[in-house]
Amino acid sequence: MNSFQDKVGWYIRHFKREWQIYAMLAPAIIWFIMFLYQPMYGLQIAFKDYSLFKGITASPWVGFEHFETLFSSDQFMRAVKNTFIISGLTLLFGFPAPIILALMFNEVLNQLFKRTSQTIVYLPHFISTVIIAGIVITAFSPSAGIVNTALGWFGIEPIYFLSKAEWFRPIFIGSGIWQEAGFSSIVFLAAIAGVNPSLYESAMVDGASRWQMIWKITLPSILPTILIMLIIRIGNLLEVSFELIILLYQPATYETADVVNTFIYRQGLQGGQYDLAGAAGLFNAVVAFILVMTANTISRRYSRTSLW
Amino acid sequence: MTNMNLYSRGDKIFVRVNMVLLAIFTLSTLYPFIYIAAVSFSSGFAARAGVVVATPVDTTLAAYKFVLSSPEFWQSYLNTFIYTIGGTLMSLALIIPAAYALSRKQLVGRRFWNLMVAFTMWFNAGMIPFWLNMKDLGLLDSYFGIIIGFALNAFNIILLRNFFESIPESFEEAARLDGANEFQVLWKVFVPLSKPAIVTITLFCVVARWNGFFWAMVLLNDEGKVPLQVYLRKIIAELSDDQEFSATLLNAPYSVETVTAAIIVCSIIPVLLFYPFIQKYFNKGILLGGVKG
Amino acid sequence: MKNYRNTGGNTMRYLTLTAAIAATLAVSATSPAFAETDHKIVDKPLELKIQMNHKRYPRYIEDWPVEIQARKMTNIHLKDATIGANARTDENSGKTEALNLMLASGSIPDIVGSSRIKDFVNQYGPEGAFIPLNDLIEEHAPNLKAFFEKKPNVASALKAADGNMYYIPYLPDGKYGRAYFMRTDWLKKLDLKAPETVAELETVLKAFRDKDPNGNGKKDEIPFFARQWPELIRLVTLWDGRSSGSDTYHDFYVDEGKLKHPYAGEGYRDGISNLARWYKEGLVDAEVFTRGSSSRDYLLSENLGGMTHDWFASTSGYNTSLEGKVKGFEFKAIAPPASVSGKRVEEHRRIPIKPDGWAIGHTNKHPVETIKYFDFWFSEEGRRLANFGVEGQQYTMVDGEPKFTEEMLTNGKPINNQLYTVGAQLQARGYFQDYNYEKQWSNKFALEGIALYDEGDYLIDQFLGVAFNKDEQKVYDKHWPSIRDYMLERQQAWVLGTGDVMADWDDYMKQLNKMGLEKVLAAMQSAYTRQYGG
Repeated sequence: MNSFQDKVGWYIRHFKREWQIYAMLAPAIIWFIMFLYQPMYGLQIAFKDYSLFKGITASPWVGFEHFETLFSSDQFMRAVKNTFIISGLTLLFGFPAPIILALMFNEVLNQLFKRTSQTIVYLPHFISTVIIAGIVITAFSPSAGIVNTALGWFGIEPIYFLSKAEWFRPIFIGSGIWQEAGFSSIVFLAAIAGVNPSLYESAMVDGASRWQMIWKITLPSILPTILIMLIIRIGNLLEVSFELIILLYQPATYETADVVNTFIYRQGLQGGQYDLAGAAGLFNAVVAFILVMTANTISRRYSRTSLW
Repeated sequence: MTNMNLYSRGDKIFVRVNMVLLAIFTLSTLYPFIYIAAVSFSSGFAARAGVVVATPVDTTLAAYKFVLSSPEFWQSYLNTFIYTIGGTLMSLALIIPAAYALSRKQLVGRRFWNLMVAFTMWFNAGMIPFWLNMKDLGLLDSYFGIIIGFALNAFNIILLRNFFESIPESFEEAARLDGANEFQVLWKVFVPLSKPAIVTITLFCVVARWNGFFWAMVLLNDEGKVPLQVYLRKIIAELSDDQEFSATLLNAPYSVETVTAAIIVCSIIPVLLFYPFIQKYFNKGILLGGVKG
Repeated sequence: MKNYRNTGGNTMRYLTLTAAIAATLAVSATSPAFAETDHKIVDKPLELKIQMNHKRYPRYIEDWPVEIQARKMTNIHLKDATIGANARTDENSGKTEALNLMLASGSIPDIVGSSRIKDFVNQYGPEGAFIPLNDLIEEHAPNLKAFFEKKPNVASALKAADGNMYYIPYLPDGKYGRAYFMRTDWLKKLDLKAPETVAELETVLKAFRDKDPNGNGKKDEIPFFARQWPELIRLVTLWDGRSSGSDTYHDFYVDEGKLKHPYAGEGYRDGISNLARWYKEGLVDAEVFTRGSSSRDYLLSENLGGMTHDWFASTSGYNTSLEGKVKGFEFKAIAPPASVSGKRVEEHRRIPIKPDGWAIGHTNKHPVETIKYFDFWFSEEGRRLANFGVEGQQYTMVDGEPKFTEEMLTNGKPINNQLYTVGAQLQARGYFQDYNYEKQWSNKFALEGIALYDEGDYLIDQFLGVAFNKDEQKVYDKHWPSIRDYMLERQQAWVLGTGDVMADWDDYMKQLNKMGLEKVLAAMQSAYTRQYGG
């Protein structure tokens, strides 16, 4: 009896004291509700035979039919497999790359070089994917590309890289990393800027080398940022740069190149087939979310850093 | 900045090797921009034939003349500035307080609020429901709609919140002893200490707005309100149609490729100029620098 | 560039006003007044709302001279009510975002016109979003009725699965699309004549490869190249195979009333086997799968490419543009070489009916007037208006035929672009094109080539597509995309040499059937019979 009144009393006192925090939070929460949560009734499209004309409410339910359609296709499962593999490899190589880049920038003493170089490396992010793809195709072309030209110096025959399934993943992942590493490193540059410089000075006095300082000072200091980015990245495991794949792949490389989004695109599912696309999207989201929850829980337990 | 003379020999080599590797990487990432610039100054025919490598071929200003003489280009450029500046300011006004609030341990239901924010990173309703929602809110075809409809995203909030969480409590306590309320703590303590993080999310907002294309295209009906990227896509669609199907650009001094390149160059220049401005915030020593107790 | 988009601009209004006045004066000065009143549909001006997503223009522009003229002639005013004006349809992916948005917003205007409207109206028409046109045409649209009676195939191709016609299409005129092109100057240099048979073609290609026709001492010639790699596959017709039955790649075809797929035929198998051999021997561009759209520009201007299969108009244009650059350059159309069984075939032709056009929304309160308006564009004057623009402005009548003004033909701007800006050649409007409009500005080399092909009569029948009902659609969606992917993967592998089509063929056919090819063909057959009869 009393505990209920106590609880209410506690809440009232709490709000009197802390109302400012809630005032700061409220606009954002309202925004999320108004713009992102309100339309979420649309997620039910994945379970309906959706007709734009009839509208969401009037469209009939079909349960898990769309999911069945997706899963029963061999090629969908192959696309899922490719998505995980490509994404996993990108995570393995592409996640550390911006961190390493940021660390490297941190070791540059010449300020002019540092600033110029930082500005340049983040440019490819702004060049549209079509152009990047064009550059990559030219670079790997058997007749005039620099890669084959360089191989020629070693007496190796030209390879028609982009027609071979086994080369697709390295080229695609490499291009992606090269395009995005600079821009992605900015987050880590910001984190490194927050590290107390006196830590480095005292370490130098103790005779530590720069290499040791990276491992013992810089990395541990930016660990929370790294973990947060990692969790988010894991959540994006099923998102692979669809546009770049479309531009680089060929039927001859579908075997390793086809991912969920390109598979759906080829099904002709981008013109009005919102229900099937919605089912695939929901599948993506659920899997991603489970992965994130797992990563988040592990991270919270062992490092006190977590998304929520 | 540390004095290199104090470095050991091993460290000096380390620094040099580091610079060489960075230089190579930098040159490779510079290439696409050089390529685009070269294409933009080349003749249409050369660009179509794919013979442009790093320098203009059959140099001409035709592409730029075409682009810069179009009033829609300038209008869309202006629109992009409106959306970018307006959007970023609104975003910061909403994100900074929210991230602060979410980082406070005394927030009731903290995990719930954070989850509510994070959840939206993976689950979204899809294009049609979002559009219908904007329509119901009366935000179709308006500058304000574009600015407010995309003002927040979970990623930036989480990033900033994370940074706030890493600020040592000692700074906060000093301010509270002086009797500061939450707003003052945020404004006088956290914001100055978080300049790198705030600058980073500002950059992300700016970049997202600058490149923003899809929703502007779908939500805006009036062509006078579209940003640069939408205009770019439109020109590409029209010129591609000319080039591919009617062969009408065969003898023109420009082509889809050169015009696209010219527009991209025009849209990258502000980006190139913006980043150096904020780079100074990434310098070390901010923490020590200017913070009153 | 000239644009009528800024409808708020006073200058533009002034110009269009003067143009309108001039047009009125011109018309009344040069032709009898009856031409204007003949087509009046209503006594008092009637306003109809229209959504228009043309790939060139995001909305319907009420100031177009063609619209103004049509208004005078029919008394029907079209008012723009376009939603999603900036989300124009994407030709490549068939995305119809704007139409989707319009439907989702719940307000369908009186008339809906768009590129790529066919699948859209055939899906939502049966659900009630659009009014079926069959009876309306029967009773109120004499021009359309006559047109469809003359071309029953087109009428059938238009129908949705429920047998109704929901849109009036844009119908291109002109038969030819792509043709075989060859460096006839190289032929002369090597003292060869245009190949008449497949065997002769192979000899010519080998000569291009070995005898250094570009005279630079290097064996760098690329005998056959293609901007789009399925054009390489099209060469299987030389071995009596097929590559597609329609204007789209990898499409089905009809053989004596039966639906078949070209990639499951024995002629195709033989063709691929030979193409793989040609590829290996260097008679085909090694980078044909990735070189893409720059092939023509690059290989022709660098004097490396010998032969291709590509669009008449644009390919012929290189004769003019490369005249100075490459000495003696001559890239002309040659007749298709005879296949192994002696048949000369040009498999590609222009599609006679496009999925672009316009439809009547279900909320339209004046369907009779609207169909009469649609019908107007199929009358003689209406057709001329849609194709050539306004008399006295864009063209004048010379010997009973419309001829573009000197100004238009010589001002350096492409004719069709000029027509778009006045509201003519609007492909989201349902009209019948007139090839004469194109002929007047076609490159003389293209016209020569077309005459050559006309003489030989090399074209074959086309598959005009089917409209599925729900069950057939399910079968198609479930099986076809994977089957198509598999076919393409094998195709590329065989050409590149990582497989042997002859050895793999039986397993390949077994796999196709396992994946459901026969089910797909059955579904298509059932739709085909229903649509075109027997």
